[in-house]
Amino acid sequence: MTDAVLSAPVATPAPDRERLAAFGFVAPSLLITALVFVLPLALLLGVSVLDPKGGGTSAHYARLLGTPYYLGVIWNSLRLGLLTTLIAFLISYPAAFALARARGPLRSILLATLFLPLAASVIVKAFAWTILLRSDGLINTVLIAAGIIEDPIRMIFTQTALIVGAVNIFLPFMVLPIYAVVAQLDSRYAEAAATLGASPLVVFFRVILPLTLPGIVAGVALVFSLSVSAYVVPTLLIGEKYPTLATTIAKAYLLAREPGFGAAAGVVLLAIAIIVVALSALLSREPK
Amino acid sequence: MSEPAPHLVISAVSKRFGAATVLDRVDLTIRRGELVTLLGPSGCGKTTLLRAIAGLSPPDTGTIALAGRDVTHVPPHRRNVGVVFQSYALFPHLTVAGNVAFGLKVRGAPKAEIDRAVQRALALVKLGHLGGRRISALSGGQQQRVALARAIAVEPDVLLFDEALSALDRKLREEMQIELRRLLQDVKATAIFVTHDQDEALTMSDRVAVMNKGRIEQLAAPRELYARPASLFALNFVGLSTRIAGQVVGGQDGMVDVVTPVGRLSARGAFQLGASVIVATRPEQLRLGADHEANSASGRVRSVVFQGSRTLVDVDAGAGASLLAELSGREAEVPRVHDEVRFAWPAAETFAFAAEASP
Repeated sequence: MTDAVLSAPVATPAPDRERLAAFGFVAPSLLITALVFVLPLALLLGVSVLDPKGGGTSAHYARLLGTPYYLGVIWNSLRLGLLTTLIAFLISYPAAFALARARGPLRSILLATLFLPLAASVIVKAFAWTILLRSDGLINTVLIAAGIIEDPIRMIFTQTALIVGAVNIFLPFMVLPIYAVVAQLDSRYAEAAATLGASPLVVFFRVILPLTLPGIVAGVALVFSLSVSAYVVPTLLIGEKYPTLATTIAKAYLLAREPGFGAAAGVVLLAIAIIVVALSALLSREPK
Repeated sequence: MSEPAPHLVISAVSKRFGAATVLDRVDLTIRRGELVTLLGPSGCGKTTLLRAIAGLSPPDTGTIALAGRDVTHVPPHRRNVGVVFQSYALFPHLTVAGNVAFGLKVRGAPKAEIDRAVQRALALVKLGHLGGRRISALSGGQQQRVALARAIAVEPDVLLFDEALSALDRKLREEMQIELRRLLQDVKATAIFVTHDQDEALTMSDRVAVMNKGRIEQLAAPRELYARPASLFALNFVGLSTRIAGQVVGGQDGMVDVVTPVGRLSARGAFQLGASVIVATRPEQLRLGADHEANSASGRVRSVVFQGSRTLVDVDAGAGASLLAELSGREAEVPRVHDEVRFAWPAAETFAFAAEASP
């Protein structure tokens, strides 16, 4: 009686002609990708290992990975990326659920507050933070006027300022992918798990979290790769005392005229971002 | 046969959503091993009642007792119920076996026991060979079976089906109805089905609760529900019928005489003289030809619909009244469109309902 049900076909492989057509559609974007990404990357890699006097060299990498100062720079970039990503995730995850539950005008307003800042340049937003945080800035002025403090608190050019600014500026890139997944989440999954005996905590860790993992992974990949390589944010909010790979690259090209060293730093930065993105993609793989 | 003790007792359960009363003092008692269907149109409260039993949406007032325990305000994860949802709600991040094992895993059962229970549940729904598959690689019918296996694996006190078969196509659905009923009887499960499909209700259940506007209009075995509908709503919702409006002009001993546009008819019921009523009967009660002992009416055949084992004849009886007759395939003579015909039917199979209760 159920033979027809049991032998239902799984997706059949597409014929070759369809694959060829599909390739045809992808070809233009492949070409553009090759021209504007692959080619410059190959050049970057080449410059980082070629000695201008001829032959190859690993001197730039040795300097980057063998000097305590530059190891500190790498760590600064990593730290900025990891802290920003972690804090942005902790804020965004509950926010995405609140956003998905909101209805009517409230939802529109919340979505607008997420999207509108994307229209402003990073420089504008980072500079806005300097106005808020500096010694004669808005926060200190208000606190002194209210009699809460007597002398201005030092906020600008601290690591706190850096992380607060970075989290604020990159937050939409974490909220939006998580929100996209949460909004699609069928409430029946949680209900089914509850009726099967799962407490709310178990429902969260065994059902909600795994099902929203693709959104988390996308958000983590976006925010980490943006913040680990951020240039404007650390330059404006903390400056010289927190050198990162991005500021080091800029210095190598613009001040020191060491394109080989700058390229090597770029490759290291790229490698860090690729490793983190690849690791998070591994996490979200579907079960076999 | 001794009467088993009540297993699920719902007493005076009410639920409101804003201004709307969705459940209005519902009482329902179900015995262990019974298969009961909540049947009704959308918005009648059947799904709300099911969710109240599952603990997903507790009632405002009233009590629910399951297996001798008051569970009215017990959260779903401490109730031991199994729910099969219309959308199945299978966890896409787990395999078939992972889904079926879920309930036992979160209860902390030992691994060997889980493996055994999963194999048993999957074998029961004939999917023993698909344990390692991903959910997305299954057909709709297979997903339905996995959802059932997942609910059965925890051996719940009651199994709840929320329109669980309605996503399947008609032929598969009819097969599943019969198979599911047999399976549930085999494992001696107590089950409640929510559906708007009368065929499903009649096929699957020991008793059917017809729901309308937050109340149970009638609770009866399928055969009785069909033969002795308690209200016009129950009559209309289950099966086809001939319905003729009229006025009561006399009556005694639970029977009334009613004057209708097609003549004077006798029907079961007790009404005051002059009451407006609807007189109704089932199509298979109508027989061709006159019978002075019975109700009868004549008219011109409007349409004849052949449906294999039966033929439905729709007769225009004049004055807006129509007769619907079902002739079995064994009947030699079937009238044709435009024929003048007379049908007769027994007064004992004719019912009178108050006209203002018309839906």
